[in-house]
Amino acid sequence: MTKTHSETFGIEVRNLSRNFGDVVALNNCSLSFAPGIIHGIIGPEGAGKTTLLRTLLGLLDCKVGEIVYTKNDKEIKLKDIRDEIAYMPETQSLYGDLSVEEHMIFFKEMYEMSNDEYKQRSQELLSLTRLDKFKDRPAGRLSGGMYKKLGLICALLRSPTVILLDEPTNGVDTISRREFWTLLYSLVQKYKITVLMATAYMDEAERCTCVHLLENGKVLIEGEPRALISQFGVNGFNELFLKQANLTTESIHA
Amino acid sequence: MIKMRRVLSIFRKEIYHIVRDPFTLIMALVMPVIMVLMFGSAVEFNVQNVATTYIDESKTPSSLTFLNLLGSSKYFQLTSTDNIFSGYKRMEREQAKALIIIPPTFEYDVLGNNTGHIQILLDGTDNTAIGAIGGYIGFVQAKACSEICKITEHSTVKLVPKFLFNPELNSQWFIVPGLAAVVMAILSILLTALTISREWERGSMELLLSTPVRPLEIVVGKIMPYAILGLVSVIVVYIVARTFYSVPFVGSHLVFFCGTILFLFAYLGLGLLVSTVVRNQQAAVQIAMAVGLMPSMLFSGFIFALEHMPFVFKCIATIFPARWYVTIARDQFLKGSSLQDLWLPFTALSISAYFIVQLCVAKFKRTLEQ
Repeated sequence: MTKTHSETFGIEVRNLSRNFGDVVALNNCSLSFAPGIIHGIIGPEGAGKTTLLRTLLGLLDCKVGEIVYTKNDKEIKLKDIRDEIAYMPETQSLYGDLSVEEHMIFFKEMYEMSNDEYKQRSQELLSLTRLDKFKDRPAGRLSGGMYKKLGLICALLRSPTVILLDEPTNGVDTISRREFWTLLYSLVQKYKITVLMATAYMDEAERCTCVHLLENGKVLIEGEPRALISQFGVNGFNELFLKQANLTTESIHA
Repeated sequence: MIKMRRVLSIFRKEIYHIVRDPFTLIMALVMPVIMVLMFGSAVEFNVQNVATTYIDESKTPSSLTFLNLLGSSKYFQLTSTDNIFSGYKRMEREQAKALIIIPPTFEYDVLGNNTGHIQILLDGTDNTAIGAIGGYIGFVQAKACSEICKITEHSTVKLVPKFLFNPELNSQWFIVPGLAAVVMAILSILLTALTISREWERGSMELLLSTPVRPLEIVVGKIMPYAILGLVSVIVVYIVARTFYSVPFVGSHLVFFCGTILFLFAYLGLGLLVSTVVRNQQAAVQIAMAVGLMPSMLFSGFIFALEHMPFVFKCIATIFPARWYVTIARDQFLKGSSLQDLWLPFTALSISAYFIVQLCVAKFKRTLEQ
């Protein structure tokens, strides 16, 4: 049976800062992530996107600032939401010598899924991603797009409430990117999950329901993409980003 | 609470990696054979200083002269013992490499019959100590004759040597059992350090840590297949030792197995510890060789006899589990002491294994923070 999420699950980031030595990765960031939609965390390399995702997941300690997780408007601890958040890192983090099916079985055990739940879920995901014909192929021999899809399958296997995707379309050809987005829309529609997707591609911002523009660890602007474009009178997100980044730089210099 | 299904799943995944990675398999199965053949055939030892215990049943000026000469030669460290049984026990427990028995009639035999016999029992499991004794005993014997009888004939004081535990003084019998420690030390620390640092380097650890898996589950799941590989390598060493070099095994397989398990856990833990300190494979290999190979060669008694080392190095050696495992392995192959007699190496090995695994679990965070 397909599992959807009727519960509302929110994440709020308050004044989050993080340094790595002299490098400022996050600078007093405050963000809010509404449930059931695709959030784009947009910014160039070094903007702090990966640090933000890792901190949200608890892979990096939240040293300055606070992250509040809520379920049905009740505050809950990070350790209690670990079962509900899935993550797909940017790096080629799958095991090259394990096949598609072996990956799924491995993560099934990590998530302690029952055989029935696994069977039903894996078939659904394999069919959605069209990887069902490649179950026996080692991850190391999958194409870039298929590899990313396998990463997505592993993350989605346990029906998470929230999924964090770190540059999932990075290094993927245009057709595979389009396919990936189609897949993402269908997943959100089907499972009502919240997606937090970090990307450096400005054109992908417009595909998100809500965008959070980051630069140098700071949040520049947030909102619905089309509304932001019309609000700032720009043609697209590339222009919007440049405009916002310059404004910030100017304001710093001033 | 540890979840076995996750542990087993990590275990199964690691088995896939091992089976599909020829390097790991070659390391585990071929390297022990190469090392046994190489070290067993090529290594020679020459060391000095011998811990020696004696029973002076004569207690006469002549026996005292002999013992004084022996003690003042600085190549022997003399301690007295009450009877042959306690002397034998001291040798069995590695507290002495030689037992000298001077009979009650020694002075009468030397001065009256011109020939006094002294029985010397030598620890045949330590060829290096035997070499030292052989080198200096002739000198002490000549001086004893000269001082006791005022003559230079060697024949007045006759030494009757007997080699315990390794009557033929076969050097392979001495080397090969110690190799079990060296092979396992290298394999377990290197392979474990590599498997974790590989996960860090590839980024798959990030993915793994994003699941509900606990650090202990990762640690146990990772250690288990390499513990099995380590055990297989010991079995390989055992088979080669018994068949190719005809090394006897007079001890208990259970005692040897228990010592092996403790040693394996200590070194697998060390491998994990290395991987928590460095997160790339190249650095992991270098550190693993430094903390795995070097101490197991230098501070275990495998090559250099520990009793001849300066005090500081002796103390350093006690930290390394290899020092204790070499004692257990050699003992079980050649002497066959009981668990009770081996309480010290077993206790030391248990303590080091416990602390290393604890430290490893404590250091192994479920975050990416260094």
